[in-house]
Amino acid sequence: MNERIEDKLKKYPAVWVKFVVMAIFIAIMFLLGKITLQFNEITELGVRLIKAALYGLLTPSWDMITDLSPNGLLYMVIETFAIGFLGTIIGAVLSIPLAFLCSHRTAPRWVNVIFIFLVTVVRSFPTIMIAIMFVKTVGSGPFAGVLTMVIGSTGMITKMTMEAIEDLDNGVVEALDASGCNAFTKIRLGILPQLSAAMLSNILYRLDINVKNASILGLVGAGGIGAALIMGIEYRKWNEVGALLWGIVILVLLIELVSTKIRKSISSKD
Amino acid sequence: MFDDLLHVFVPRTYKLPNGKVVKEKVNKTPYLVILVILMIIGCCRIAKVDFGLLIKRGHFFFDMLSKMFPCNWEYWPLMKKAMLDTIIMSLLGSVVGCLIGLPVSFYISTNFKIPKWITVSSRVFLTLFRTLPIMVFACFFQLLFGMGTFTGTMAITVFTFTICTKMMYEYIETVDMGAYEAIQSTGASRPKCIWTAIWPQVKGYYFSTVLLTLESNVKSASILGYVGAGGIGIVLDSQLSLRKYANLGLVVLVMTVTVVALEFLARYGRRKLSDV
Repeated sequence: MNERIEDKLKKYPAVWVKFVVMAIFIAIMFLLGKITLQFNEITELGVRLIKAALYGLLTPSWDMITDLSPNGLLYMVIETFAIGFLGTIIGAVLSIPLAFLCSHRTAPRWVNVIFIFLVTVVRSFPTIMIAIMFVKTVGSGPFAGVLTMVIGSTGMITKMTMEAIEDLDNGVVEALDASGCNAFTKIRLGILPQLSAAMLSNILYRLDINVKNASILGLVGAGGIGAALIMGIEYRKWNEVGALLWGIVILVLLIELVSTKIRKSISSKD
Repeated sequence: MFDDLLHVFVPRTYKLPNGKVVKEKVNKTPYLVILVILMIIGCCRIAKVDFGLLIKRGHFFFDMLSKMFPCNWEYWPLMKKAMLDTIIMSLLGSVVGCLIGLPVSFYISTNFKIPKWITVSSRVFLTLFRTLPIMVFACFFQLLFGMGTFTGTMAITVFTFTICTKMMYEYIETVDMGAYEAIQSTGASRPKCIWTAIWPQVKGYYFSTVLLTLESNVKSASILGYVGAGGIGIVLDSQLSLRKYANLGLVVLVMTVTVVALEFLARYGRRKLSDV
């Protein structure tokens, strides 16, 4: 009995190996930090600015909150939402055919390779660069932001939908195949009914992310709340920054709440 | 025809032979579809969507692409440092953020009998920070620490911390507490119980969270340079304002390749971890 226990213990990987790996890892981290980071001193001015900023966050500018014109908080929050929402919807519509072209179940191998490569490159292309290019194309404004979001979310939703297609139950499709249906009928009757729940939940998840990301597009003039935020920070108008940040927080939380609720009700139906 | 259309929205009522009136269940889908369509129209108005403009001026987009590629390879030695900075910034930020996030997420999950006011208050605090974009953190740290890579690393750390903590505490609340209680009943201390009973259950998810945040941080680190937080964003901005599009092409190419490579590595790592 004792021998068996000892055998088992010997087979178990030694603890010290883990510790050595951890130590090497931490040492590498420190080394990397030494190469890159320049530690700057915290200046007195910096501390004063941060204090002013925090005070501003706690006392948001009521003028801005109650202003209903395009310079007011409400309009900017709605514009940010609109950019995220439209980007997600158009991206989702575009991603449906792309996902079918990327999946090996619905398209031949060489088509898959081309489209997966295309989608991966588009997905990894820096968002800020896409935004800049669209600003140069259609001029600065929320439309450029919408187009940027479309590109970004198309890549992401295509990937997620593709994964959902791979997980499908093949029996239905095979049965339709056996009864002589063509590709479109197979997609319509065999795949879409299985896919719709997963896709809706992906789209809602993406809406979450897009609304959050839409708030930084203003950095390059692509609309949304970001432009006013950057201006406010640059000119040290902390009360306005406070109001804008509270606007972002409430918008993102609301979207998250609604989308989680809908996603939960979808998954509980299955 | 019209009658059918009406009954899409208004449920039909049937009168049974025994005089009972039966109502169809209300179908919510048509209402939701109309709501979404109205929202799309409203959002198009607000976001000034104009596809005619896109078609008319769409060639500018491809003009810029053709100016960027083929790119200027001689620029590589000059931007090497900035790219390395970006990668190290996001690596350090993700690792440190996740390391701090793990104990905190244990502390604010509800299944360890921590006083409720602590969990609730720290969750509210975390949620407030979690909704802010990373750029805001960068701006504030830039005031405190000045320009440079340290600012970016701090911003990424705080951002990662909020995300990692949220993902972890939601997962920890779903684990099986039986083993924990069994070990607790032998008289082990709380850290020991967590280490032997909970950690093996959550470690796969934790490491995959680390990889996920690392992946998304490298992507978002490119923005940080815009607000003076170091990394490749500074190079991007300067080359853009100098209109050196061939250099810009190289920057974009390197960033894209890095993100793709990291995505493959992360996927490989996650597959390995799922076997552990």
